[in-house]
Amino acid sequence: MPIESTSILPLLAVGIPGIAGTLIFALGRFTVWLREILALLGTLGALVASILIGIHTVKGYAPTAVGRQFYADPLSALLVVLVSLIALLATVYSLKYMRHTVADSGLPHTTTIGRLTAYYGWLMLFISTMMWACLSNNIIMLYVAVEASTITSGLLVAFYWDKRSLEAGYKYLMLLTVGITFSLFGCVLVYATGANILGGSRGLLLSELKAVASQFPTMTAILASAFLIVGFGTKAGVAPFHPWLPDAHAEAPTPVSALLSGVMLKVAIYAMVRTISLFYPSFPPIATFALALGVFTLVIGDIMAVAQDDLKRMLAYSSVSQIGYVLMGFGIGTQLGIYAGLFHLANHALAKALLFLAAGAVIYSSGLRRLSELGGLAKRMPVTSFCFFVGALAVAGVPPFNGFQSKLALFVAGGNAGNWWAVVIGTGASLVTLLVLLKAAKTVFWGQLPTAFEKTIALKEAPLSVLIPMVLLSILCIVIGVYPKAVYIPLKSAASVVQTISSPVTSVASGDRADVHMGALEKHR
Amino acid sequence: MRDVSPELIHTFSLLMILTSFAAVESRNLRHATIAYLGQALLICALLLAYSVLNKALLYWVATALITKVILVPWFLWRSTTGAEQETKPIIGFGLSAMLLVALLATMYRLTHAYAILFVNTTEELTSIAELNLAIAFTVFVLGLYSILTRRDAVKSVIGLCLLENGVHLSLVSLAPTIKETALAGIATEVVVTVYLLLYIIGGIRDRFGTADTFKLSELHW
Repeated sequence: MPIESTSILPLLAVGIPGIAGTLIFALGRFTVWLREILALLGTLGALVASILIGIHTVKGYAPTAVGRQFYADPLSALLVVLVSLIALLATVYSLKYMRHTVADSGLPHTTTIGRLTAYYGWLMLFISTMMWACLSNNIIMLYVAVEASTITSGLLVAFYWDKRSLEAGYKYLMLLTVGITFSLFGCVLVYATGANILGGSRGLLLSELKAVASQFPTMTAILASAFLIVGFGTKAGVAPFHPWLPDAHAEAPTPVSALLSGVMLKVAIYAMVRTISLFYPSFPPIATFALALGVFTLVIGDIMAVAQDDLKRMLAYSSVSQIGYVLMGFGIGTQLGIYAGLFHLANHALAKALLFLAAGAVIYSSGLRRLSELGGLAKRMPVTSFCFFVGALAVAGVPPFNGFQSKLALFVAGGNAGNWWAVVIGTGASLVTLLVLLKAAKTVFWGQLPTAFEKTIALKEAPLSVLIPMVLLSILCIVIGVYPKAVYIPLKSAASVVQTISSPVTSVASGDRADVHMGALEKHR
Repeated sequence: MRDVSPELIHTFSLLMILTSFAAVESRNLRHATIAYLGQALLICALLLAYSVLNKALLYWVATALITKVILVPWFLWRSTTGAEQETKPIIGFGLSAMLLVALLATMYRLTHAYAILFVNTTEELTSIAELNLAIAFTVFVLGLYSILTRRDAVKSVIGLCLLENGVHLSLVSLAPTIKETALAGIATEVVVTVYLLLYIIGGIRDRFGTADTFKLSELHW
């Protein structure tokens, strides 16, 4: 058991970007650069706090705050480091990118300033709510934070305010709110039953619920898990609840797409695992259901990705597919499965953020995003081209990139657990992913330049602030791929806090609640 | 401690079904908003009745008054200026009414059979909680039905509000002793979501010239 210690770190991780966002809304209109500085400071502060949380948790401490309402274990730490890292890179990327796209949108200058203030303000609040979701120890607040991250990103998705982005924004808010409401039902069921066993508000705390989940009546456990899977699954883009995802990812400004795909989906799947894994030891069929859903998702995502002509939509469907792999790992339900799921979660966060940023660089320089209109950009944009290929190979799971290591771990875990069918389907789908992404990369960067660009020198590499985040992500993808031991300890300690299907069933002596309930049911009939 | 009056709660709960039906079926969006307002008042009354069990619920009565009774109807009213008539839905009134009755019967039967598994209150309160859960699930499913079958975006938002009311009602029935911070978080979120959705719908009206969701067809697959 970790040693709990009251700490200000969880509050800082959530608070710094939150305060930065509030300040941007209040002061952003005065100077152009102030909101950008505030955004950079906000994300940098969150990253520093997250890394410190990570160091504490690996050392065996659990920083807590506000009477254990915030609680950081190695799993939370992994997520907050990922969220804040991608957030910082996306913010750096935004500096030039957003000025450029807003200037291009043809809006009057005064509106432009207002738009950018709104952009950075919502972005910071979005990041803050995701950090909150990862650090919340209160099951109802976990729901509130996840839903808050939908609200704060709604206007970011509809940012361009044209027909396409408005439609995407409407679908995003509507579908996610309806979906996530199911998880509120799930959380309420867990809380109500937990409170009954534990007494009082302790039933709200995830760290306490773990010990009593085995005493839940079977029906409650299964119904609550079903609600939680549908609810958080909608937010995570798990098929068949994914229709909002390609629209939102494709229409949002690119740095936001990178955040949605890179980390928001991960936060949702984290919330799902955090809650349903409570029931793994006592009700293993829940894990099997998650496994089946994961495999279904990875197949659907891949099939849909094949048919896309829009570069960003294609990447979005590929995210659906990769979330399927992550869920597959969690659904295998063994220690190795959870480890592999988390490893793929982290790798996909890095690689898909990289791919979206590279696609954004293509849009930045060429103004085009349809595969059928693009070609031959490698000569003019060598760095972007290199980064896109790294991202594509990493997501597809080709050695020596990071995605290979996690997919290998996934398949080994599946084989060890006897889920060969999932391994076979997963391997096949992986080949499809490789084909789809390589075909896209080949179309965009090799072959003939579009005739419109051939004579002009206007098409050139994106600016440095756009390239640096991409290069850093590429380096991470390669380093983790070549030397996976570098991330072994944080991942292993994160995996160890999740209950597995073979964890010992813990039981707190407080009367056999399940029997009482079942008896009552019999009598009632 | 005073008892919760079962008759009162039964009456409130049944009225909730009627207001939900009116909100879903009224073709005039302003009338639907008024039906929703009625339901919000009923929820406040219900919470007030429950507050004898848990004083913290009084805090939620106040929150619900501000959010559900004042803010949400106000936003809805504002956004329906000049567009009071709903776009014709897919399913007509007659079929809708029959579906509602079937739904209510099923939900009542289901929750009656299984509510005992989830309800954690004392013996005498169980029957109230069972009824409440049946009502809550019905309101929830009616909201979902409204979102799925109505073409008008504002009507879908009203459906979303019903859906949330259903969840909140079940929350109070399942966990009457819940902490106020959690309640405040949940209640606030609904208002902000409704506000943002209506804001985006305003943009949609502007660009598409209609709030008919069937006309939103820029994005395929």
